[in-house]
Amino acid sequence: MTVTQRTLAIAALMAATACGAREAPGRGADSTTARTMTTTTSSGDVALPAMASRSAAWLPPGADDGNWKMPSRDYAGTRYSPLAEIDTANVAQLQLAWTFDDGESHYGHEMTPLVANNTMYIVSPFPNRAFALDLTKPGAPVKWKYEPNPSPIAVGKACCDAVNRGAALYEGKLIYNLLDDHTVAVDANTGKELWRTKLANVEDGTTMTMAPLVVDGKVYVGNSGGEMGVAGWLAALDVNTGKELWRAYSVGPDSLVRIGADFKPFYSWMRGKDLGASTWPAEAWKHGAGAVWGWVTYDPELKRIYYGTSNTGPWNAAQRPGLNLWTSAVFARKADNGMATWAYAMTPHNEWDYDAVNENILVDLPIDGQVRKVMVQFNRNGFAYTIDRTTGEVLVARPFGHENWASGIDPKTAMPIVNADKHTVPPGRWVRDICPADVGVKDFEPSAFSPRTGLFYVSVQNICMDYKGREVSYIAGTPYWGAQMTRHVGPGGNYGEFIAFDAATGTKVWGIPEPFLTYSGAMATAGDLAFYGTVDGWLKAVNARTGKVLWSRKLGSGIISAPMAYRGPDGHEYIAIAAGVGGGAMTTSSQPGFPARGSSYYVFTLAKNIPSTAPASPGGEGGAGKQEGGKP
Amino acid sequence: MMLVTTRSPRLAALAMAGSVLVALAACRQDTQDVRGGAQGNVTLPQQQASLAKTTDTTGLPPEGALARVAIGDLAGVGNNTLDAQVANPYANDRASVEVGHEMFVNMNCAACHGYDLKGGMGPDLTDTYWRYGGSPADIYKSIYEGRPQGMPAWGRALPPAVIWKVVSYIQSKGGTYPATLADRGRQGDLGDDADTTSFSTLKGRNNVH
Repeated sequence: MTVTQRTLAIAALMAATACGAREAPGRGADSTTARTMTTTTSSGDVALPAMASRSAAWLPPGADDGNWKMPSRDYAGTRYSPLAEIDTANVAQLQLAWTFDDGESHYGHEMTPLVANNTMYIVSPFPNRAFALDLTKPGAPVKWKYEPNPSPIAVGKACCDAVNRGAALYEGKLIYNLLDDHTVAVDANTGKELWRTKLANVEDGTTMTMAPLVVDGKVYVGNSGGEMGVAGWLAALDVNTGKELWRAYSVGPDSLVRIGADFKPFYSWMRGKDLGASTWPAEAWKHGAGAVWGWVTYDPELKRIYYGTSNTGPWNAAQRPGLNLWTSAVFARKADNGMATWAYAMTPHNEWDYDAVNENILVDLPIDGQVRKVMVQFNRNGFAYTIDRTTGEVLVARPFGHENWASGIDPKTAMPIVNADKHTVPPGRWVRDICPADVGVKDFEPSAFSPRTGLFYVSVQNICMDYKGREVSYIAGTPYWGAQMTRHVGPGGNYGEFIAFDAATGTKVWGIPEPFLTYSGAMATAGDLAFYGTVDGWLKAVNARTGKVLWSRKLGSGIISAPMAYRGPDGHEYIAIAAGVGGGAMTTSSQPGFPARGSSYYVFTLAKNIPSTAPASPGGEGGAGKQEGGKP
Repeated sequence: MMLVTTRSPRLAALAMAGSVLVALAACRQDTQDVRGGAQGNVTLPQQQASLAKTTDTTGLPPEGALARVAIGDLAGVGNNTLDAQVANPYANDRASVEVGHEMFVNMNCAACHGYDLKGGMGPDLTDTYWRYGGSPADIYKSIYEGRPQGMPAWGRALPPAVIWKVVSYIQSKGGTYPATLADRGRQGDLGDDADTTSFSTLKGRNNVH
């Protein structure tokens, strides 16, 4: 087929799929769905008793209001702290308590610090060193350091900086992924390695950057490498031994994807046998990506895990006519055996690198007068999806920032309605001003949800691209990319914005434009504050209800990590964050004033809680560990 | 060899031409663990027909000479860095630069180092900063041997003449050291004196194509 013929074939396929999407009685997208996706019925003033009374099952074992044992704090992924000592009235008194530097300023810092047992745990970017900091001592000295020494090959296989998105604390273990495709468990008290499991071969272009989710004795981990021709997967490991229990691929036949009798996607175009292979040219799925490098959340009542899959590989969509399932999609799976219960491809036949790996936050929201169990994802493609997490029905899908690639999401089929002039097939020509750019209206940086306001707090990117698809060949260990790009700022000239969003109606409540990208995670607190950082290095606290900036501080580098809150041994509330720009934020590094990289952690508390001088003998307990070598 | 790209007649033809090169190329087979699937889906790039003609090593520096080029500085009293001054037989040859350019794109070099060579996943190749040396011989060795932070070793996949042509292309962008100044470049003493033996003198650094 010529390129033109192929394009027509794809168009016909898409049209046929859309037309054939009549739903079976009782299961389909009904008129109620259509209405909620096109109107903005207000959910009213929100007080969410269902959220406030959530049981301890939504938290990792041993979690309480003052600690933070996983990056999102709870299994629902809310990044909400119930601490309220720091509030809208006193946040202006926030001052620096102490700092720490992990020494790895070469790479971006995308992680969230953890706190438990009066100890802070941080994991550096490559070479993925872990540090335990003793919060009971002045200045929080290093309690132990763990050096896993991953393979340096991994640095050159990571598409977008040698980052790490954090660890999980579970029953005395600190568990995280190394860039060279190993998952490790470390004794949280001593820093001694308990197990190390190899998940993939780094030479093939697979890396691991995501933060594991640990639930009920299982560690869920996934791969990175969407630009390297990998086949994406999520694996479950035994938390005590590291032994792999099962692995669910994002592409391939049903046996690999772990699709069986329980699989009931809501929309008919995703029903059928072996669609993870048959929606591709023969064998193409093997290098079709669908990497699992984002966040995994868990519903302890439904006992389901939720996560998204990455872009389709290669980016040049002309080489893979078809819907390319299950890339750029979300999965709901049974937590115990990994069998899929539903899936939904947000950007089928993805032509723009719009991964679907962003966090799926699990909340109960009143929609059209009825409280629904939903998951909310702010997708890279610019649409905020509110989805019934039991069935996979899309309830609301509306833009949360500037996008121009699609005019909307079809209320019947939940397929994007792509604007004709933004197709990147056929390749070999520049397609101008596609919004968003590959990095999305939002990238991995995790959002927060406050049950007090019922609002989501989201870092938004206003960035567009000129794009040219290029034919590419698969050569193991090299990029399987197939695109050339230049990026530019979107309308208004502000690269970033921090917004509050009502996911029940799909409407923005307020927004704070930022001249630089907003690429940090968000946190909401019971003090009715929302925290975020900017790529030019400002950490800000805002009134969660009004969006008024109440406090800000300039840190040493740009902020792409996520803030967290904990109660210190002194009983007071502290806020922690890392400043070390990198990752996808480097797409704008030529912007005047763009900061240098960094590797520092900053901890703030109310000024009255900070001793004016250090005690006479502030003590580090470095121990007799080996000296730093000359390693880069 | 089942290729996605066999749907395209042009690519199919190139793939067939490329299959000549499979033996030569010996790219590491795909060992990715896709359970239950067939392995070994290595696709060789376009533009390989011309490669078959380039296996002749007449006029090229002998491999043994290049093996003696050290990556770092040398301990001891003997100054043995002369080997780094091996010149690229194809430097300043426009046709070779073109072949090198095509290979740079087709072997996916551009995906890491940028279509403009200004870096991305991999380092900028135009900025005169070279972690493993910036003379033509240094660059040849980096391509041939690979380097620890993810740079694949192409020595088995590509014939020496092709690697030299890729070096020609990189030299044409002006960020390399002149072969004769390899020692100075290694000591960080190049000043503004980048590769004055290449096209950079004709059209200005970083601005040839």
